[in-house]
Amino acid sequence: MSDALILKDVCKRYGDRDAVKGISFSVKEGEIFGLLGPNGAGKTTTLRMISTILQITSGTINVCGYDVATEPDSVRKVISYLPEDAGAYKDLTGREYLKFIANFFAEGKEREEMLEKALKVADLGERIDSKVDTYSKGMMRRLLIARAIMPSPKFAILDEVTSGLDVINAFEIREIIKEIASSGVTILMSSHNMFEVELMCNRVAMINNGKIIEIGTPDELKEKFSAKNLEEVFIKAVKQSEGEQ
Amino acid sequence: MNALWNITKKELKELLTPSSIVSVVIVVVMFAALGTMINSTVEDVTSPSEILLINQDSDGYGVEIFNQVYDAVYGEGMAEEYVTYVTESDISDQQIYDLMTELGMSDAMVIASGFSSNIHSDPMVPGVIDQYYIYTSAGMFGSTTSMILPEIISNMNYLISTELLGPEEVPKLNPISYTNTNTFVNGNMAEGVTPALVDGAVMGQTMMMPIIIMIIIVMIGSIVIGSVGNEKENKTLETLLTLPVKRTVIVAGKLLASAITGLVFGAAYMLGMMMYMGSLMNTMTGDVTLESLGMALGLVDWAMVLVVLFLAILSALGLCMILGAFTKNYKAAQTMTLPISVLAMIPMFILMFMGWESLSVVAKVLLFIIPFTHPMMVMNNLMFGNIELVILGMGYLLVFTAVIIYITVRLYKSDILITGLSQNPYVVKFKNMFTKKS
Repeated sequence: MSDALILKDVCKRYGDRDAVKGISFSVKEGEIFGLLGPNGAGKTTTLRMISTILQITSGTINVCGYDVATEPDSVRKVISYLPEDAGAYKDLTGREYLKFIANFFAEGKEREEMLEKALKVADLGERIDSKVDTYSKGMMRRLLIARAIMPSPKFAILDEVTSGLDVINAFEIREIIKEIASSGVTILMSSHNMFEVELMCNRVAMINNGKIIEIGTPDELKEKFSAKNLEEVFIKAVKQSEGEQ
Repeated sequence: MNALWNITKKELKELLTPSSIVSVVIVVVMFAALGTMINSTVEDVTSPSEILLINQDSDGYGVEIFNQVYDAVYGEGMAEEYVTYVTESDISDQQIYDLMTELGMSDAMVIASGFSSNIHSDPMVPGVIDQYYIYTSAGMFGSTTSMILPEIISNMNYLISTELLGPEEVPKLNPISYTNTNTFVNGNMAEGVTPALVDGAVMGQTMMMPIIIMIIIVMIGSIVIGSVGNEKENKTLETLLTLPVKRTVIVAGKLLASAITGLVFGAAYMLGMMMYMGSLMNTMTGDVTLESLGMALGLVDWAMVLVVLFLAILSALGLCMILGAFTKNYKAAQTMTLPISVLAMIPMFILMFMGWESLSVVAKVLLFIIPFTHPMMVMNNLMFGNIELVILGMGYLLVFTAVIIYITVRLYKSDILITGLSQNPYVVKFKNMFTKKS
């Protein structure tokens, strides 16, 4: 299996503050890879650099064979990014929003098929024709997930995808993500929810203070830290890295 | 802490952001500059008028009366300083125009031959005084100086009446006939037309255009900055930036939609204003129309107006997109429209009150730099044949718009759009300079 994502010594500097300090990791094709870390650890900055939204200060990022710094347009064709707390255009209905996005990827019959697929994933029934403004948080997330997988991306980047959702909505969203992954899409997700990460991810990287402190499968990490679950691993790993610093 | 003060303090902190304070400071500075400029123009129009006095009469009586009145109005010895005297018994309208142009004077008075002998004959025959004006478009105060000749003639009338009837009598005589008023517009003489009537006919353009342009700029500015603010507030911008579409296309799409909205709204405003001003001016100017003065715009002129308008709208939108890039949300976006509004209001007020021709070189340069000046004065310039200024303005707008759009696209490719200015290395360095010092 080849690598869908390769980060080499990636740094990001905001003014005089280093948000990401030379991180390196790779994600294999078809993998669900979790990026874990406390608030302000550099997770979102990393995801934004991979998504071509932020420029890299130094280092390289390669997504599906394309360099993020030199081929951002090609990268955008193979990725789909769902930011944390993302929204949709409030004056559009759910269907209009999906159609608006589909127009960037395909035309004619292909676009209609893409739209049909998204409508199925969103599964909003009649409410798909209501204004986005009237959607609950769970409905909005379903719509945005549908938007993200609609163009059949090779690589999906999901930032805190179930954050703020109730148990039922979070469960449903996780099921959708598993289904996407089973269709061969590589997924990079960040989350605070250790249970969710342990349940879904093939491998995880733990990031703290802009540095990768641990990387491996959930089982490998649990064994390494003699921990019962990933939450315990996370706490021990963070304390250990802070102690080293 | 008192609850009211607690809430007030929080609200003030949100409302008085550095961007809103900077906007207000810019407005104050701009209005102060505008006030100074208007003040200098008002001083100009109230200072003694330069008049060309052509005496066709063999007698110097008319000139003598004129001097008495002029000195009484402006002060002793002023006539000698400000009035140019020409004695010429036979002079054509064209020669008068040439002379006025040569001397750079816009007001001329001709005392007709037999002026003195007619007045002193029995029964009295009114002496004739003709007025000649060269019309220059100078905003609201444009025809102010032309009001001085009727005032002088009216005073001469009074003075001669008093002289003929004696100081005890009511001066009921009208010893001067001054019905012949001619105004040169673009070198062509309009007979029986005062500059005020010409002003009325061109008012539609001199007054209406600046107001409409200002409204359009403020409106589309608000739309486009609000659009970027909304994208940030609703968290749709990040998604948009990761779609397989070039940043140039995103910028162009936003610009185009706002430009179309601006043009549609602008056309509607223009139509409404034209109907309003048209009916208003008809009652004031009667038969004196742009067509009758040979100033109506042709097809090429209208095409030029549209090009200038389109370029100005594009440049305004580009500026707003740049400002929008620094906003955090919709609320912050609204305060960012202030500098654009002021930038549109400055040329509007100056062109309405003073007109281009009456400005100093420095003021002209400053006004020329503001892109919104050009659509505000393009119709006026075309009517008065200032084609060079129109072409220069179009060239400047083209360059300005291209530069602004280039900067906008660069900005939309940078981190600033997401992180704002606070994370910019240069801004951080600048802040640190002061932090370290303190």
